[in-house]
Amino acid sequence: METPTSDRIQFANAPGEVRSDIAAAHARFWQRLASAGTWWSGTERVAIAAQTRAAMGCKLCDSRKQALSPTAIDGEHDGSLHSHGLLTDATVDVIHRITSDSSRLGRTWFEKVQADGLGDTHYVELLGIVVAMVSIDAFCRGLGTPLHPLPDPVSDKAPSRLRPASAREDGAWVPMIPSDEAKGSEADLWSGRAPNVFRAMSLVPDAVRDLKYLLAAHYLEMGKVGDPSASRTLSRPQIELIAGRVAALNECFY
Amino acid sequence: MSGDRVDVTAVVDPSAAAESGIPNAVALIAFSDAVVGNDEIELEQARASLLEAVGFEGLVDAAGVVGNFQRMVRIADGTGIPLDAPMRALTADLRRDLAINDYPSADNTPAESTSGRLLGRVLAPLLGLAYRTMGRVKGKA
Repeated sequence: METPTSDRIQFANAPGEVRSDIAAAHARFWQRLASAGTWWSGTERVAIAAQTRAAMGCKLCDSRKQALSPTAIDGEHDGSLHSHGLLTDATVDVIHRITSDSSRLGRTWFEKVQADGLGDTHYVELLGIVVAMVSIDAFCRGLGTPLHPLPDPVSDKAPSRLRPASAREDGAWVPMIPSDEAKGSEADLWSGRAPNVFRAMSLVPDAVRDLKYLLAAHYLEMGKVGDPSASRTLSRPQIELIAGRVAALNECFY
Repeated sequence: MSGDRVDVTAVVDPSAAAESGIPNAVALIAFSDAVVGNDEIELEQARASLLEAVGFEGLVDAAGVVGNFQRMVRIADGTGIPLDAPMRALTADLRRDLAINDYPSADNTPAESTSGRLLGRVLAPLLGLAYRTMGRVKGKA
């Protein structure tokens, strides 16, 4: 008997009650993870999530991260065998690189990813899944609660294959919807001017929707990010101290 | 929002946390480092310290923010987005002072022009004043 998605979102052993909006955001993503997305099937999406978890303790990734160049070390990623038949070795490597060593990705790397057969739309959706998994698992790890069991894939529909007509090259590696062109079916993505980090995955609008829900639960609602008085139990300076430190630890320039 | 000044050096130098002017900065930095790292004993200790310092709801907030930015950095670095032009101008001095320009992903952002840097130097103090004013107005609301 399948376990309902909501039952998989628990924070066992937490020394208090976790905010309901966080549980709801995690459950929403878990449900969407299991279903067909825009370009990947539900089965493939869960496989991407599983590889993201495998990357977090992968010995090859650890070795590469210590090396002067990540390409200097060959090998097989831990957990990669589980995705054979669903994800190519090249795709598994992309997942592991994003998860474990994102600061050293570059345009040359991305161009090779595309040359190896991963198109920009599939890449953006994959990126959306990887980063959501990293975010949710980091939350659980920070709190000291077990990681949520991955959902069972649902194969009730095919990927929608909707590519926004307005997405175009705009200085990033992937096309993005221009800041003032989130209209029509994409009108819900953002209002007013959106910074590049909110536009980054707009080639797959559902990835931005996932971002918004988790953003609101883990950090602040999109509309409040620019409001310096917005805070939670932690003050805004405390929140931004954490944000800046995590960015520095990851050597993220943006 | 009290309008107090804070020192953000702690984001790149944990030893500066205690002098940052931000309450519980030492515990917040230690927790962030531990979640991003892979030492489970260190994480357990950092979590316990933070829980004592800010309570459970504060710990939940902190875990959420760490999780969020573990995601956001990978979005930025995974798509090669350049830093938005206004932020590029406003943060030129800060990025230089904190050596952020040395990060590999800095390659994704075009170098700032001389006029852009000068404009940033003019605007940055005004932005700070605007934020402090907004904070005082909202605090009275």
